Amino acid sequence: MSPLVLLTDALVLLGVLVMTVGVYGVFRMPDTYTKLHASSKAVFLGVIALVVASVGTREPAVMTRGFLIAAFLVVTTPIAAHVIARAAYARDEAMETPGAVDESGHDLPARPPTRDDG
Amino acid sequence: MHEVVFYLAALWMTVLLGLSVISVIRARSSLTRILALDMTILILIALLVLFSDSNRVSYYLDAALMLALLSVIATIAAARYHSEGKLFS
Repeated sequence: MSPLVLLTDALVLLGVLVMTVGVYGVFRMPDTYTKLHASSKAVFLGVIALVVASVGTREPAVMTRGFLIAAFLVVTTPIAAHVIARAAYARDEAMETPGAVDESGHDLPARPPTRDDG
Repeated sequence: MHEVVFYLAALWMTVLLGLSVISVIRARSSLTRILALDMTILILIALLVLFSDSNRVSYYLDAALMLALLSVIATIAAARYHSEGKLFS
């Protein structure tokens, strides 16, 4: 068995394990802010591991499309997580983690005033 | 050995897809539901990438790329509409 095949299997198993941790985190975490950690970091890194495992196919079409997907997810997953967290803060969602302290967003109004210029 | 790893990974990720759909249904607030939908799309992208790795063909990845594009736009639109009442102010 060649080292490339072993590397591919190891990366697939690593990606599946990390995504399992992410899904378990979404079930386990108490509020939206902490669920964002699990869904936007753990699951995303599992997808990246599976994309890197496409090197084992040695097909240029698969590898270029895979790394295009990886580059796009690297750019857009933090944006989606930021938008969800900002919306949760603006809607006054409670932080249900024990010992949670709200240290941010003193310049962010609780409900942004809707302007009628649209 | 090599094929068995891919079969077990695809089976387990189908289980993860079902679990994330359950977390979409059981979400307590709307933003948690948007978050769980985003995670469901990520798992679906990973499943398509896994099929593409195992069959050595590239056409699953076109669907995965389109899902990645559309899920981000949908997440941003839904979250902004939920917080501010309109999409672009």
